[in-house]
Amino acid sequence: MALTIKQQFSSPGGILKFLIKHNTIFIFIVLVIFSALISDVFFTSVNLSNLLKQVSGIGIISIGMLIVILTGGIDLSVGSMVALLAVTFAILVNTVILPLAIILTIIIGFSLGSVAGYLVAFQKMAPFIATLALMTIARGLGFIYSKGSPITFKTPGGEFMSNFANNSTLGIPNIAIVFFLIVIGAMVMLRYNVFGRLVIAIGSNEEASRLSGIKVNKYKFLVYAISGALAATAAIIVASRTNLGSPNMGMAWELDAIAAVVIGGASLNGGKGTAINTLMGVLILGLIGNILNLLNVPSYPQQVVKGGIIIFAVLLQKFESK
Amino acid sequence: MKTSESEYRVEMTGISKSFGVVSVLENVNLKVKPGEIHALLGENGAGKSTLVKILSGVHQKDSGKITLNGQEINPKNTHEGQVLGISVVYQELSLVNDLSVAENIYLHKLGASKFWMNWKKITEDAQELIDSLGFEIDAAARVRDLSIVQKQVVEIAKALSEDTKVLVLDEPTTVFDPTDIKKLFDNLFKLKAKGISIIYISHHLDEIFKIADSVTVLRDGVDTGSMAVADTDADGVIRLMIGRELKDLYPPRNVQVGEVPVFEVKNLTAKDTLVHDVSFSVRPGEILGIAGLGGSGRTETAKLIFGAHKKKSGTMLLNGKEIKTNTPVCAVGHQIGFVSEDRKEEGVFLPLSIRRNISVTNFTGISGKLGFINTDNEYKNVVGLIDKLSIKAPSSEIDVKNLSGGNQQKVALAKWLSVDSKVIFIDEPTRGVDVGAKVEIYNLINEVAEKGVGVVVISSDMPEIMGISDRILVMYKGTIYGELPKDKFSEENILRYSIGKQLK
Ligand SMILES: Nc1ncnc2c1ncn2[C@@H]1O[C@H](COP(=O)(O)OP(=O)(O)OP(=O)(O)O)[C@@H](O)[C@H]1O
Ligand SMILES: [Mg+2]
Repeated sequence: MALTIKQQFSSPGGILKFLIKHNTIFIFIVLVIFSALISDVFFTSVNLSNLLKQVSGIGIISIGMLIVILTGGIDLSVGSMVALLAVTFAILVNTVILPLAIILTIIIGFSLGSVAGYLVAFQKMAPFIATLALMTIARGLGFIYSKGSPITFKTPGGEFMSNFANNSTLGIPNIAIVFFLIVIGAMVMLRYNVFGRLVIAIGSNEEASRLSGIKVNKYKFLVYAISGALAATAAIIVASRTNLGSPNMGMAWELDAIAAVVIGGASLNGGKGTAINTLMGVLILGLIGNILNLLNVPSYPQQVVKGGIIIFAVLLQKFESK
Repeated sequence: MKTSESEYRVEMTGISKSFGVVSVLENVNLKVKPGEIHALLGENGAGKSTLVKILSGVHQKDSGKITLNGQEINPKNTHEGQVLGISVVYQELSLVNDLSVAENIYLHKLGASKFWMNWKKITEDAQELIDSLGFEIDAAARVRDLSIVQKQVVEIAKALSEDTKVLVLDEPTTVFDPTDIKKLFDNLFKLKAKGISIIYISHHLDEIFKIADSVTVLRDGVDTGSMAVADTDADGVIRLMIGRELKDLYPPRNVQVGEVPVFEVKNLTAKDTLVHDVSFSVRPGEILGIAGLGGSGRTETAKLIFGAHKKKSGTMLLNGKEIKTNTPVCAVGHQIGFVSEDRKEEGVFLPLSIRRNISVTNFTGISGKLGFINTDNEYKNVVGLIDKLSIKAPSSEIDVKNLSGGNQQKVALAKWLSVDSKVIFIDEPTRGVDVGAKVEIYNLINEVAEKGVGVVVISSDMPEIMGISDRILVMYKGTIYGELPKDKFSEENILRYSIGKQLK
């Protein structure tokens, strides 16, 4: 790695090429500098830890989204899954002991993801359709189980979770630590584990994968299940932060997750993308929201800016592939 | 600008091109007269495809000059090239799988025509064109459902239009059997008679001597000169290509072929293809050739055994024990390997690096229990194979899509040759590979056989299949029609069986 960076710098136009190649990190750094210059509140620890807390939930589902997108699929259900699973977790926290509530929520998330995985891998349903259907089902179930209103944590277990989610360790919000650990886990799995190799192989040529003796269906199934389990983790975090589970949570989060993955340079055709770049994508989206808030820009113009940044990032990636 | 009275239709002079820091062509000249068939030869990665892609507008030259009928041209994209009358059959298939044959053939004209298309007429025209070429393909069929041979024919039909002045064929015959090749040549002679200039790229030197008038040889991006075919011979051309003499194209083998078959199939019949009642066995260390015409069911048989197609009936024995291979995963589990003939769609992962391509079939040697990869071992394995197969690439981290066709083929092979197999099916092992590298591949196949693997090679290349096999099976209409022991090997015998006749 070090060598290639050196080579890139030494060749003519090298710095420019380097910046284009690592454009996500580049955009991220520019945004940080820009934010720091424009607002003196930005670099305060309160603001930064708020920022991290805000992005952790979406960040976790973005990692699941990345793994699915690497196979050439998509998971539209994650936002609604967060709602359903947050409600589920709130109900469980109020009925069983905390460790069991956590484990059960994750298992349920995994199982719901498995449904999408089953439809895509074994019933050959288009991922867009299968997860679109699950998206409305999950949202609907969320409302049914919660009877349409938020369920508050009422037990000591719930209190513990709420404390955990709102506190920091060594200055870093606990939930951000959870998010970072998941990013590191994904990075290791994608880079150094056979799992990642095969997921990427499937996304770049499914037929060649099949004829290489890869268990294509197994991996396609697994990625949705993992995405479900990560949605459960995100749900636990966001519910704990607010001390309740609501069927309105995670609204349109799937779109933010897709945006983060794409800003991170992944290809929706599959086969291309990394966890670290998705992390950058998540942080970039979060930063934009953060700085616009600090500047008191209302939410509608914020959306316009966000969209603009997505287009800009993807345009930069076009240069890279040239 | 005045049209000079140049005797050449196409003149490419002093062409240079580099991709990034890698220089691919340096000061290359290529001149072709009207009505001439001009062969372009060179090793894998010599720059042949790049040169013709510059002519057609896929790539842009860094320097040099191109003239067509004396007029300087600079096609910036393939559309401009087409308008100028330059048609190319590219090395890699570039058809749209979900469109019909007819739609593909007229695809490049659709944009230019009026809003509504007369599909019926287009289909009729396409059918007429294909019929006139002497091949049998339904113009209304979806391209996805065609065999690779048929796809190649469609590719050729697509390149032929009324205003073609220069036709470029980049290794058009790699999937063709001798009868297809003859049909293609008849067509080329007709085009030549019409005054069309043809640039013909191939690694089959015998073809060059059958059809070409003159040849240009590239070596490492530099042209070593052009000459009339009459003034040279195969050895002369090879010397120019690889810079040395080639002793044995088919290296001698001294393998102890086992007595007991390692693998046997009995009465294998497919559910969805024409393959039926296939029975044969292969012994450890043996190289078994399967010959036959395109469409005779060779690839389908291999895919059937490998579990990529569905079986209806029949049994398979591995080391005497019955096995089932309902999916490729099962087949690989039983240590059966399969190298596909269709490297772009089924063989390699174009967007991934050479290292990732080669490792994908075999993590056992390089990863631990939990699936974590030992990158040191991985590099060692991959670099070893790159070396062994003389894959021409700056490093193992280059994406396969940036390799020349022949080098991609070597990657597809390397993927399987590092795996411990009991039986391996290799469909067209040297498709698009240059003469020098062919020898490397044959050596490697021999090495695999020496380990006691049963090797089954499918090939349309007659000299190749006779050169490397211990025994040849000939398929006809979906089943094995005849078997030839080594002393009965001859082109004539293979051909007779291939068309359903008995030996004389
Ligand atoms: N888009 C590209 N980017 C970088 N390198 C490339 C690209 N296309 C081709 N090359 C390199 O250029 C060289 C020449 O490739 P080219 O495809 O012209 O060879 P060729 O003579 O047609 O070989 P073959 O007989 O194997 O088809 C190769 O080393 C190849 O790796
Ligand atoms: Mg080529």
